[in-house]
Amino acid sequence: MTEPTIPAATIPPEPPPVRNAEFKAAMLLVLMFVLVVGSVLYLMYARGAFESTQRLVLQADDSDGVSVGMDVTFAGFPIGRVRSIELGADGKARILVDVPRKDAHWLRTTSIFTLERGLVGGAKLRAFTGLPTDPPLPDGAARALLVGDAGAEIPHLLSAAKDLLQNLTALTATDSALDASLHNVEGVTGKLNGPSGAMGLIAGDDKEAQKLLARANQLVTTMNELAHKTDSLIGNADRRVFGKDGVMTDTQATIVQLNGLLADARASLKKMDAVLIEAQAVGANAREASADLGSLRAEVESNLRHVEQLVNEINRKWPFKHDTEIKLP
Amino acid sequence: MAWLGTWWRLLHFAVLIVATALTPASYGGTHRPALARRIVIAAAPNLLWFTVLSALVSLVLIRIVVVTALSYGLSRFALEMVVRVLVLELIPLTAALFVALRSTLPAGVEFAQQRGAGGLYPGTTINSAALLHSEFFPRVAAGMFAVWLLAAVSCVLTLVLAYLSLYGFTPWALQGYTRVVGQVFDPSVALILVLKVVFFSVAVGLIPMASSYYDGIGSRLRATHGLSDMVRLFSLILLIEVASLMGNYY
Repeated sequence: MTEPTIPAATIPPEPPPVRNAEFKAAMLLVLMFVLVVGSVLYLMYARGAFESTQRLVLQADDSDGVSVGMDVTFAGFPIGRVRSIELGADGKARILVDVPRKDAHWLRTTSIFTLERGLVGGAKLRAFTGLPTDPPLPDGAARALLVGDAGAEIPHLLSAAKDLLQNLTALTATDSALDASLHNVEGVTGKLNGPSGAMGLIAGDDKEAQKLLARANQLVTTMNELAHKTDSLIGNADRRVFGKDGVMTDTQATIVQLNGLLADARASLKKMDAVLIEAQAVGANAREASADLGSLRAEVESNLRHVEQLVNEINRKWPFKHDTEIKLP
Repeated sequence: MAWLGTWWRLLHFAVLIVATALTPASYGGTHRPALARRIVIAAAPNLLWFTVLSALVSLVLIRIVVVTALSYGLSRFALEMVVRVLVLELIPLTAALFVALRSTLPAGVEFAQQRGAGGLYPGTTINSAALLHSEFFPRVAAGMFAVWLLAAVSCVLTLVLAYLSLYGFTPWALQGYTRVVGQVFDPSVALILVLKVVFFSVAVGLIPMASSYYDGIGSRLRATHGLSDMVRLFSLILLIEVASLMGNYY
């Protein structure tokens, strides 16, 4: 058997030599070096290798759902990272958390730490600080972890739902109060549909219902008579009020008289008006007169002063002048 | 038994290559130009195309993951899923397959044909150790380097694309993004990723060359030779991928 020979045409030619091959290869090597070193540095930074941290120990009965590397959040912002989880000497899980020192001021001695397990997604470690003025959390502090578990609520919820369903079943059973009530309602509606209708329902049995019906009939008759009487009463009243010699006719005459009276009153008022004008004139005169009276009084007063001076003069000159001087002993 | 023999020869070739790689003489003097040329030929043409293709595929997958997560109300898990699916799993695998199909497998067949036709160093007889230094090692090293470079470039590019398509052109989400990336890449995951890329590159670089090292001149038809290399390579890549998945998720 001969060896299979390959025709020379199928032998691919050697690729052409690459120019500056060493330089290009060096560039490629540098590119890869930069990428790899950059990625490593970035991942180290992302995992917090360059941060100075302080240690926080969270103690919980059950660390289910907590994983190494998960975040501890404060107000939704990650401020720490779970470094490791270990079982303590007291049988409690110890979750060791690294908190970067630049974020550590959010945690105070009174801070609360919770572990929440939702129905969807992983567990969440959260920190809450009520009093931001409290002293800051020291390095290596150990705190209890409060566990809030949506999954743990499900059995309670199921038992509550079961109770509720049992109550509902008891309520709707054949000999239950609701059933009896519904039966009564059925009887009532049956009576309502029966020959005596709602009256039978109110009166109880049929005999009573008929009595009641008869009385009701009497009542209606009486009411009818009463209505007739009222009708005639209204007729009489109409006659008395609006008939010939009725109240309304008298009233009309009175109104006519009243009209005349009012016209007289208007004339009297006009006269009164004139009198008032006169009085006004009198008043004006009186005012003038009183002005004159003022000047008159001034004159009288000056005359009186003259008279007084005269009297004084006469008294001085009078020879029989009384000696008014009082002599003391 | 022949099957076992091929794997044994592959292992032997790997040891030879490692020994050559640890010899400083392989990188200096006369061998350096050949090594540089092989590295440029293997990596440079693939780099641009693979980067473009992986960016496109990444964008589509990121979009699908983000939209799906949003419609289920699980958007806060979208980023982690994107990083895990693309950067940890798909990109290294695609890079390895791309380099294998575009570069090392054809180059292996080509090289075997040249040897078979006596096109290599015509008229001279050289021992296999010298051939190992001058021909095999540069090709293997170039294949491995191409896988590393392509995987590194496209992983970084995908991380950048994931950030941009999730948050847009804003620097303010960088801290939260960095935190999520840091949570995904814990030390074991990062180690598994590095090991996976290294093993992929070893498989992609070694297997196509190993058979032509042992097959010698014209022992078999070259077509079947290339096909069996491909099957061997893919099965090994599959094994590595399965092992990495088990390491990551079990």
